[in-house]
Order: sequence, then structure tokens, then C-alpha cells
Amino acid sequence: MNIITCFKVVPEEQDIIIKSNGELSFERAKTTISNYDLNSIEAGTQLIEANGGTLIALSVGAANIDDSKLKKNVLSRGPESVFLLADAQLENSDTHQTALALKAAIEKIGNYDLILCGEGSADLYAQQVGNQLGQLLNLPTVNSITKITEGKGKVVVERTLEDEVETLELDLPAVVSVTSDINLSRIPSLKQILAAGKKPSTVWSLADVNLTKPADTIEIIETKAPQQVERKQDVVEGDSEDAIKKFIEKIAVELK
Amino acid sequence: MKIIVLAERYNALVELCSGARKLGNWVEAISIGSLAPQGVNGADKVWSIPEQDGVMWEDYTETIAALLDKEKPNFLLVQATKRCKLVAGRLSAMMGASVITDVMELSSDGETKRMVYGGTAVRREKASTSIAIVMVGPGVLAGEAPVEFSGEVETLSFIEPKVKIKVVGREQKPKISVDLPNAKRVVGVGRGLGKEEDLAMVHQLAEAINGEVGCSRPIAEGEKWMPKETYIGVSGLMLAPEVYIALGISGQVQHMVGINRSKVVIAVNKDKNAPIFKQADYGIVGDIYKVVPAMIAQLGK
Repeated sequence: MNIITCFKVVPEEQDIIIKSNGELSFERAKTTISNYDLNSIEAGTQLIEANGGTLIALSVGAANIDDSKLKKNVLSRGPESVFLLADAQLENSDTHQTALALKAAIEKIGNYDLILCGEGSADLYAQQVGNQLGQLLNLPTVNSITKITEGKGKVVVERTLEDEVETLELDLPAVVSVTSDINLSRIPSLKQILAAGKKPSTVWSLADVNLTKPADTIEIIETKAPQQVERKQDVVEGDSEDAIKKFIEKIAVELK
Repeated sequence: MKIIVLAERYNALVELCSGARKLGNWVEAISIGSLAPQGVNGADKVWSIPEQDGVMWEDYTETIAALLDKEKPNFLLVQATKRCKLVAGRLSAMMGASVITDVMELSSDGETKRMVYGGTAVRREKASTSIAIVMVGPGVLAGEAPVEFSGEVETLSFIEPKVKIKVVGREQKPKISVDLPNAKRVVGVGRGLGKEEDLAMVHQLAEAINGEVGCSRPIAEGEKWMPKETYIGVSGLMLAPEVYIALGISGQVQHMVGINRSKVVIAVNKDKNAPIFKQADYGIVGDIYKVVPAMIAQLGK
């Protein structure tokens, strides 16, 4: 089976700085693989390890996703090569633009049986790109997948929803979004990290995949740290009998 | 302004239809299969798609797409469930739009607020396409009393999907009996709890104050002591109870975004420097194993 596993490059959350006006600064934020996509990469690697085939990793985004450390990180997790559609015009893409860009890159790669996505991205978590991509490609599309088993020309997947668990059979090719429950992503060994440096990578621009920048479908008005709610902060220190009594007297008023 | 509403469950359909009135004065509901072909309170009109044999809920997507194409609503409001996320995503791809998911606020001009960067920030955004597809979580549009349905029900003919998925099996998950989004009082438990058995004490407290029990993410995902459906915070539940009591919860932003709309926040934590105390109305720096039994004894009276 030929698998393409899609991943998003996101800013490292702990490096995001909240400025005094509440706006976010990404100046010092390193880029990393969105953590949910570590599970989709791992799912692809496990399928290849069990049944053979090829695994390609693919990301689309701004020019800064073309980063040697990042590529090595992805490749140390199992894929045999990585494709990047890295273009300044794809900065801050909405889900529709991202899905269109992935479609263009996937069609250029060609030859695939299964496309894997993470359930959502660590930064925006819209949980949309895999679903939109599958529709754009006119393929069987499912989300919330917690198990994948390969069969002849098909995969059987377990889908965990709010109240029920479904077992579904998908004809290939198909687009599958997996949740973080599907596996524990590996910590690459030194050998895998060294081998990753020798694996090939391909970098494309929008022109290379014959795509003009799709129009924005979302207007972002602002992104700001949430305003802190004013709280009384009436805190009793210590858990002596007296202190506990004092505390309970205070909260009893609110719990009448 | 025309608004069409799609949901898997009747209660959610009613809540979204009633809440949608602040966006516009004409609200139509989609009823799939046996959901509500007789009418939907809160809606002016119902589009009913009759139940089909041997199809998935998602197989109604093409029929819904044809309806949107014909009716050209300004908004499609969708319940925030996993199935709905798949259907909304497929619809948006067909319409050349995006989906704004899991909004915590939707104002009358269509502006939405949602959490981004793991709760670090709130993003205000709106659709710039002719249709805005917005997924709304439970409680966000609650509060409006539904108008009794007296409109027309129009039946849509089913459009066979081009791509089909075979359902091999389906199993109900064990029922979770708590209804946290609608609970007036919630006790949240975090890493400060020593072992699973001690949850009994937490439940006793909830019972004493007539509340429900939720938890922070590590208790559901790491320890698996509580069902995943009960964790509060980013990618989990967003609650706004009258009283929230945090037991052994440090107060990380990822959790706090799920409870900061609570009217009153009460915290019990043995770490004096836990960030939760800065975001609580009342707190006690103490051992939950000493404080909680006293709370049960006193508050349960």
C-alpha cells in the first residue's frame, strides 16, 4: 500500500509570548510538527512495517516549513521521503486553502492508496482539513479513527464517536483522519535519526503544483489572549480545623 | 437572513434553531430520518429527508448539499459532534467555504469567537464566503425559549452518494450518565487525587452539593480514571456552571479556559503557588483529603 501522511508545521506553544496588549508574538517560537500528526505519521509507519509498501510525508504551509531540522524529525519517524509545498502565499491558510493545497500536492505526487491526517492541528484544532481534502478528491472520507487494519484493496477502520464505536470498510484510495488514541508515537532511535539525514526531500512552490493562491474563506478579526475574569481570590491558608471551617463558611454562602 | 440548522440530536436542533434567531428571523431545520419529520420547535420550516435503508448518517451529505445549493442560506449552523464535523467539512469543500468549528460565542453579525493555540488565545473571525458554516457547542446558544413549531414540513428526495462506505459493525459505548454542560454545580478533579478509589470521595462531595463530577485532562487521558467525555478544557468540555469547585487542579490555561465562564470558582490545592488561586473566588491551601471530607460533612447537611 502507498501511503501519504499529511502533517502541519505549527509554532511551539511554549514559545508563544503574550504581549502587554494581549496580542501574541511568534518571534521566538520555533516550528514543530503538530502533535496530533505525530500519531498519523506513526499510524502510517506501523502499517508499512506490518504490511510493506511506501510511506511519504507531506506538508503545506509558509516558506518557513522548509526547515532541515523539521524534515529530519519527520523522516526519523518512518517515512521514506518528505514533500513540502512551502510558499509564502500559504502563510496563515484557512482550512479550505490548506485542503486545496494538499490536493494539488497529492495529485502531483500521484500513486497513493491511503491518505492519513491527524484529527486536528495543535494550533487551530478545526478538525476540518482531512474531511475537506477527502471531499475535494472525491474519495471515501472518515474522521475520528482509532484503528486501521489493511485488507485487499481496502482498509477496515474503527471509528470512535461520542456514544458509539463503528467498524467501517473503505475502498481504496481513501482519506482517514486519526485521533491521538490510535497509537503512542515513537521516540526515534539514534539510528533512525541518522538514517533520516540521508532520506530525500522535495520542496515545491504553488507554481510547481499549478495552483494559484485560493481566496480566503475566513476573515480573522483578531487573535488575543483571553481576558482574565476578575475573581475575589479570597484564599484561606492552611488546613487546620479552624481554617477549613472558615473556608466552608465562606463557600456555603455560594452553595445555598 | 436565512439560517439552516443541522444536528444529530433533537435537543441540539431545538437549541440551535432557537438561538439562531439572533442572527436572523427565518430559521429552517433539517431533519434526517426519524429525527423530527413532524416538526422542530424553534424552527419556521423543516426540511425532512426520509430514512434510507442501509446508509450512514454521513450519506445524507449530498442531499443536504443540494438543499444548500437551492436555498442559499446565509448561515448553516451545525451541532458540534464528530459526525457533523465530517459532514460540515464535506459540505464546505463542495461550497468552496470553510467551517468555523467549536465556537464559544456567535454574535448577531456572524462574528465568532473560538479558542486557538491550546487556549492561549481567543480568535475572533467570520466567514468571508456567501455561506457561513459554523459549528456551535452545547450551551453556547442556549437560553432562548423555543417557539412551538407551526410551520411547513417539506420532504426532500434522497440523493444517492457517489462514494459509499460499508458499515461492518456498530457498538454503543457504555452510557455516561453525567450531563456536565447543563449542570449548575460542577466538581472538577485533577492530578492532586492520589488514586482512582478516591474518586468516591469526589462523587460524595458532588452529591452533597447537588452537582456533577468532571476532571482535568490527565485524569481522563493519562490515568484513564474518568471517561474522556468528562474532561474539561481545550478539546474537551467548555462549561459555565454557577459554581465550579476545583480539587487538586493546578490551573493550567488548557483547563481554565473550560471553566472561566463559571460564576463562582472555588479551589482546593495544597500548593500555595498553584495558578488556580489567582483565578478563584474562594480557595484553601490544604490537603484535599482533609478538606473534602469536611466539606461533605458540612455542606451535605
